[in-house]
Amino acid sequence: MSEPAILLRGVVKDFGDLRAVSELDLEVPRGSIYGLLGPNGSGKTTTIRMIMGILEPDRGSISLFGGDPNRSRRARVGYLPEERGLYRRMKVLEQLVFLGRLRGIPRGLARERSEEWLERLGLDDRADKRVEDLSKGMQQKVQFIGTVLHEPELLILDEPFSGLDPINQDVLESIVREFHARGATILFSTHLMEQAERMCESVCLISGSKKVLDGDLRELKRAERMGVVVVDFEGGHEWVAGPGVEGFDETPTGVRIRLLDDADPQPILERALRAGIRIGRFEVAQPRLHEIFVKHAGAPADTPPEGLRRKRELEAASEGRS
Amino acid sequence: MSASPMRTVPILIAREYLQRVRTKGFVFGTVGAPIFLLAIVLVPQFLAGDGILAQREIALIDRTGVLAESLVPRLEDGGFEVELVADAEAEDDAIERAREGEISGVLVVDERTLQDGSATFRGLDSPSTLRQMALRQAVNQTALAARLTDDADASLLALLQGGGLEMDRLGEEEEVDETEGLAGYAVGFIGAFFLYFVLLIYGNMVLRSVLEEKTGRIAEVVLSSVRAWELMLGKIVGVGAVGLTQILVWVLSAVLILSLGVPAAIPFLGEMEFLADLPAFLPSAGVLAFFVVCFIMGYFIYSSLYAAVGAMCSTEEEAQQAQLPVMMLIIVPFIMLLPVLEAPDTTFAQLSSLFPFFTPIIMFGRVAVGTVPAWELVLSIVGMALAILAVAWVAGRIYRVGILMQGKRPTLPELWRWVRRA
Repeated sequence: MSEPAILLRGVVKDFGDLRAVSELDLEVPRGSIYGLLGPNGSGKTTTIRMIMGILEPDRGSISLFGGDPNRSRRARVGYLPEERGLYRRMKVLEQLVFLGRLRGIPRGLARERSEEWLERLGLDDRADKRVEDLSKGMQQKVQFIGTVLHEPELLILDEPFSGLDPINQDVLESIVREFHARGATILFSTHLMEQAERMCESVCLISGSKKVLDGDLRELKRAERMGVVVVDFEGGHEWVAGPGVEGFDETPTGVRIRLLDDADPQPILERALRAGIRIGRFEVAQPRLHEIFVKHAGAPADTPPEGLRRKRELEAASEGRS
Repeated sequence: MSASPMRTVPILIAREYLQRVRTKGFVFGTVGAPIFLLAIVLVPQFLAGDGILAQREIALIDRTGVLAESLVPRLEDGGFEVELVADAEAEDDAIERAREGEISGVLVVDERTLQDGSATFRGLDSPSTLRQMALRQAVNQTALAARLTDDADASLLALLQGGGLEMDRLGEEEEVDETEGLAGYAVGFIGAFFLYFVLLIYGNMVLRSVLEEKTGRIAEVVLSSVRAWELMLGKIVGVGAVGLTQILVWVLSAVLILSLGVPAAIPFLGEMEFLADLPAFLPSAGVLAFFVVCFIMGYFIYSSLYAAVGAMCSTEEEAQQAQLPVMMLIIVPFIMLLPVLEAPDTTFAQLSSLFPFFTPIIMFGRVAVGTVPAWELVLSIVGMALAILAVAWVAGRIYRVGILMQGKRPTLPELWRWVRRA
């Protein structure tokens, strides 16, 4: 487990005059669940496409399993692209066997595994249906099966949970954890901070094509000097603003208060008591990933993408220069 | 577990081929088209209510007394069964039987026929147009012949039949008979038209297939396992194999129908006897072989271009526009085909058939109508081979960049950058 599964050094990618990825260093340790987080248009997909060799970086180096990302190393990766791609007219099982064989497993084994997966994901009665006759969620599950048929050591999943209902999100989450338990490395991108917070061991937060911070999630939180105080109460919240408070969000039962760096929560409790409100809970909590992100990136993770469409256009125009 | 191109390309070809061959459209097109063609020829006969199996018996009343002798054999040649009516009593009987529908009708020739060739046909229904033509021709010829014999100038008769045009090609050992020349022309035109047609169709199929993989984002999934050129090659060969299968079925059924079916059917076909000459129109093995060469090499040239067009577009509408230049490469030689068939040995014909993008259609036409020197044949095949390499190189680069690119279509300078830098 010496060298990381994925290592990026100073990677830059421009689309025309728009910088999609800027001087990105990324290190995904072997055997970890790693989250690539950021709003739409922040460069997550571009980064993943570069790792998969679909796009070439303008500068910087990318290594996979400690070496050049060549064909045989990429064959050890299972890649789920952001946009699902399946032959619409092809039958589900046929399609999976086709994808499995392309990834180097023999026909019989591909068939066997496909059937097992279809059964496990409750799609066994759809094996002979055409992909176009399946719902979007089902198609996504089929796509996921296609990604893992060859039992990759590294799963690269671009927004794997988008478009799935909560039940299927849970199913997928447990399968991803299973791969992790068997020793696989998982890199997934998402703009859903809560999901990442629940699943990831390490994260990399990017915003506006730049890395905001990265590392082990628990250490990140511990190192974060920002405190959070959760107060459930009845009554007005004029008392909240004051020295040491950076801002707050209302919750259904009270407020969630973000403190300035190194601020002491004690004065807040005193202010609350002086205000004479009825307190149901007073808790000094750890900051959420989302709060850390907002603090460092200066904007929430779900900010509408700036220049996303423009990027797509420039992508086509500029590729010849790569 | 890395899969080599030797493994992946066959998998890609097999998918493409099987997916297409199993569609209803393919089965209908392949098996249905020959049946449809046959039906086009035969069905009108049945619809005329006077079909192949309809009555061919007619009665002939000859009031001139001189026409019947030569008119009866002519009518029989035209597919009729003729019963010569002797006297007035038999006339009434014949008309009665025509009214009952027992015979098709009664043909009456009289003095007027000798004057201006007109005659009367009395029957329940009018015969089909083809049969009317056959009747009129028989009557006219007989009347004309009778008049000419009166003038006792037998040589005029021969003139009337129309002389043949003997072809004496200088510089050729064997004399070519005229049906061979006509057959060559027909094979050249029909074959070249067929090439034009299938090259457009299968080129388009490649285009749409590439577009589907691109817009459906399938390329991104597949390209994480195989390289772009493998995907493109698999696609082109797969669709091409579908085309070959279809052509093989068509050609085989055409050969079967013409060489076995038609002669067997002649006795039942009556006035469609002209079909009996068709087997003579079958192309020779050499011409057929060159046809296959032209299809395969032409297909590789055009379908690579079509693949590149598909890869640089993002919508069906865009692709319709962008494919125009490629279509022109197929349409222009087809427009030039007729003059070339008329004069296959001119410099114009020579040069245009040696231009690799025009070779498949024009050179095939030239080969079918005449004798093309061996060196020209070799040169044209080498030319096509070089064109395939050049086109594959350029198209492959455009494909590699374009297939993963979403967004607006590249301009020409951008396209050039793709080719240079890819």
